[in-house]
Amino acid sequence: MKSIPFIILGSVLFAHAAWADASSEEIAALRQRVQELTESVRQLHSTVQSQQQRMTDLERANAQLQQVQGGPSVVQVPAQSGSTPTIGALGEPVRVPQVASSLSAFNPEIGVLADVVGRLSESSAEGEGNDKLSARELELVFGHPVDPYSRLDITVSFSDFEAASLEEAYITHWGLPGEVKARVGRFRPPVSKASALHRDSLDTVDEPLFVEQYLGAEGLSRTGAEVSGFLPVPWEAVTHHLAAGVLEGGVGEGGTLFGSVRRRPSYYAHLKNFWDISDTTNAELGATYFTGSRDDDSDLEVNALGLDATVVHYITPTNKLKWQNEVYLQERDEAVSVAEDGTETLFRDTPWGFYSLLDYRFSPRLGAGGRFDYIEPVDVDPVTLAHAGDTAWSGYLTFYQSEFARWRLQFRHTNFARGGDDNTVFLQGTVAIGVHKHQLQ
Amino acid sequence: MRCLRILLLSSWAIAISGSAEGARPLRVVATLSTFADLAKTVGGEHIEVAAIASPKFNPHFIEPKPSDVLKTKRAELFIHAGLDLELWRGPLLDAAGNTKLFAGGPGELDLSTGIALLEVPTRSLSRAEGDIHLYGNPHYWLSPDNVRTMAQAICDKLCVLDPQHEQEYHRNLRSFLMRLDEKIAEWRSRFAPYKGREAVGYHNEWVYLMQFAGLTMRHFLEPKPGIPPTPRQLEFLERYVTTQRIPAVVQATYFPKGPAESLAKRTGAKVILLCQNVREIPACSDYVAMMDYNVEQLARALSP
Repeated sequence: MKSIPFIILGSVLFAHAAWADASSEEIAALRQRVQELTESVRQLHSTVQSQQQRMTDLERANAQLQQVQGGPSVVQVPAQSGSTPTIGALGEPVRVPQVASSLSAFNPEIGVLADVVGRLSESSAEGEGNDKLSARELELVFGHPVDPYSRLDITVSFSDFEAASLEEAYITHWGLPGEVKARVGRFRPPVSKASALHRDSLDTVDEPLFVEQYLGAEGLSRTGAEVSGFLPVPWEAVTHHLAAGVLEGGVGEGGTLFGSVRRRPSYYAHLKNFWDISDTTNAELGATYFTGSRDDDSDLEVNALGLDATVVHYITPTNKLKWQNEVYLQERDEAVSVAEDGTETLFRDTPWGFYSLLDYRFSPRLGAGGRFDYIEPVDVDPVTLAHAGDTAWSGYLTFYQSEFARWRLQFRHTNFARGGDDNTVFLQGTVAIGVHKHQLQ
Repeated sequence: MRCLRILLLSSWAIAISGSAEGARPLRVVATLSTFADLAKTVGGEHIEVAAIASPKFNPHFIEPKPSDVLKTKRAELFIHAGLDLELWRGPLLDAAGNTKLFAGGPGELDLSTGIALLEVPTRSLSRAEGDIHLYGNPHYWLSPDNVRTMAQAICDKLCVLDPQHEQEYHRNLRSFLMRLDEKIAEWRSRFAPYKGREAVGYHNEWVYLMQFAGLTMRHFLEPKPGIPPTPRQLEFLERYVTTQRIPAVVQATYFPKGPAESLAKRTGAKVILLCQNVREIPACSDYVAMMDYNVEQLARALSP
């Protein structure tokens, strides 16, 4: 009986303590909530203040403009040097519609590239633009998306010493299975680093000798189909890109790698391996396999392996050093010519060629460089040759007039495999107008 | 019973892997390091972001590399400046072939939307005026007022692409805007004593910063945009800087310093290297740090 009050008291105290615990938790939660709300109100207050300040600044600027011009303000473009209007507090900002609303938005991007070359050599051959100034190439470039899945790119070139030609006309299709991209049409296949570039993008006036002699005077442009994609690898230090395709047979004008039969297709694959060594340095190693026919009664008796290695280093943001090298090795079956009387002439069955180029852009306006070439001729009786191959030394100076125009002076000394030598001086002017976009290399 | 256990374990494993897949950060690619920094500030741990253009180089003239193409190919969001600053953007997107990131696509964010642009041309132009910008001066991120709009746009886009983390994006945005507002007041007061003062620039890329600071910039070492400084232009500037007592020649770190230093030597003006983009120099580690650096450099150059 005596213990009952203590029990009751204990229960009350326990209940009180439990109730106090629950209350203090609730109070803590409420306090937390109040703090959060206070914080939100403070942020909103700060936002309103800064918006009011901004409105005040804009009203002040508009008032000043109206005072100066006596009416609604007009935004001015900085004019010629010495007369740039004041910017800063003046100048009413204008919101520009982000998308052109007229039908002209569907017009293709159009660019024009003009490449004028003067060439003076000791040779009296009536070659491409020899001993004269020529409009070597005028390119009209068109490009635009066709629909959400594909894009069309076209390059038509004109020249003052040959007929107009379709250099490129290909459709690029995206979003294929396996994250693969496809090209169909006429294009420059990646069978050589230099050949894949348009001539206006070369570091030299002329193509490297092995490109001229094996693939064609203007590099290789053929009709075919290609698929390409990045290899799924677990590392990020190196990017691997594989392209493979089939082309109509033959090569470019003057090329000797394959015969001229177009219905005998050629096949290629190119693997590009790219290292981002640092912000200022990168390296690329590439390998190409290219196979095709030299005549119309057999398939694929010419197999070529191309290897390329390029290092680019930026000494400063405007000073760039590039060292680019390519070697092209061939294995040719039936490297023999049989005369009517049955006499056989054996040709070299593993001719090869290479170049090494060093280019240095040492200021925003000037660059210089040099290239060494070596090439062994194809389907030529070695007995008739004084040397195993042609060698050439080239040096050049480039003046960049602006982002859209450059001038280049180049000297080339060539020792020919057949004997003799030649000195050639080139002067090149290249200008671009419009929207000029070539594919990223 | 055993089969049921296996079934349950398998379902659990699939569920875990599914949720792990859903928890993967959103892959974001930005053209410039400043945009990447803003995206990371708003997105936090829920995004992984890469910038295409290294801030050490002029953003007008970037040569995207195969690694940049691959990053863009795999990205779920592509953030860019819009207008005609990054002319390399088109070939990059074509090479990557990621149609979601094409203009108007669900994964594309043009940060110029909603920005009050300056120097919008009111007449037809040609390249005779240099490398002119057709839609207005595109270097708008150098005004902190514009960065408010940009950060909001990034937040809105992230919320659309990743609604699961909407609250966190908004929280990060609020926190950033609060910090920015405090700094804006601080920066404005730092510039207050120098209102109306003038500086000379290398390239016309500072107009938004000048407007924010209440300063002016009428002349540049480039006689026309994109044309390197010429002897005639330097002669003109030597006379102008001397007669007008211009205290500072402003340029980004990626332009050659020779012409500015030559002008400074002849006139007594100071050459000020400012950051166009985040991480252009180590001190500009994020947007606020970059503006702190730019404001301090400019204010010191303008002080008597």
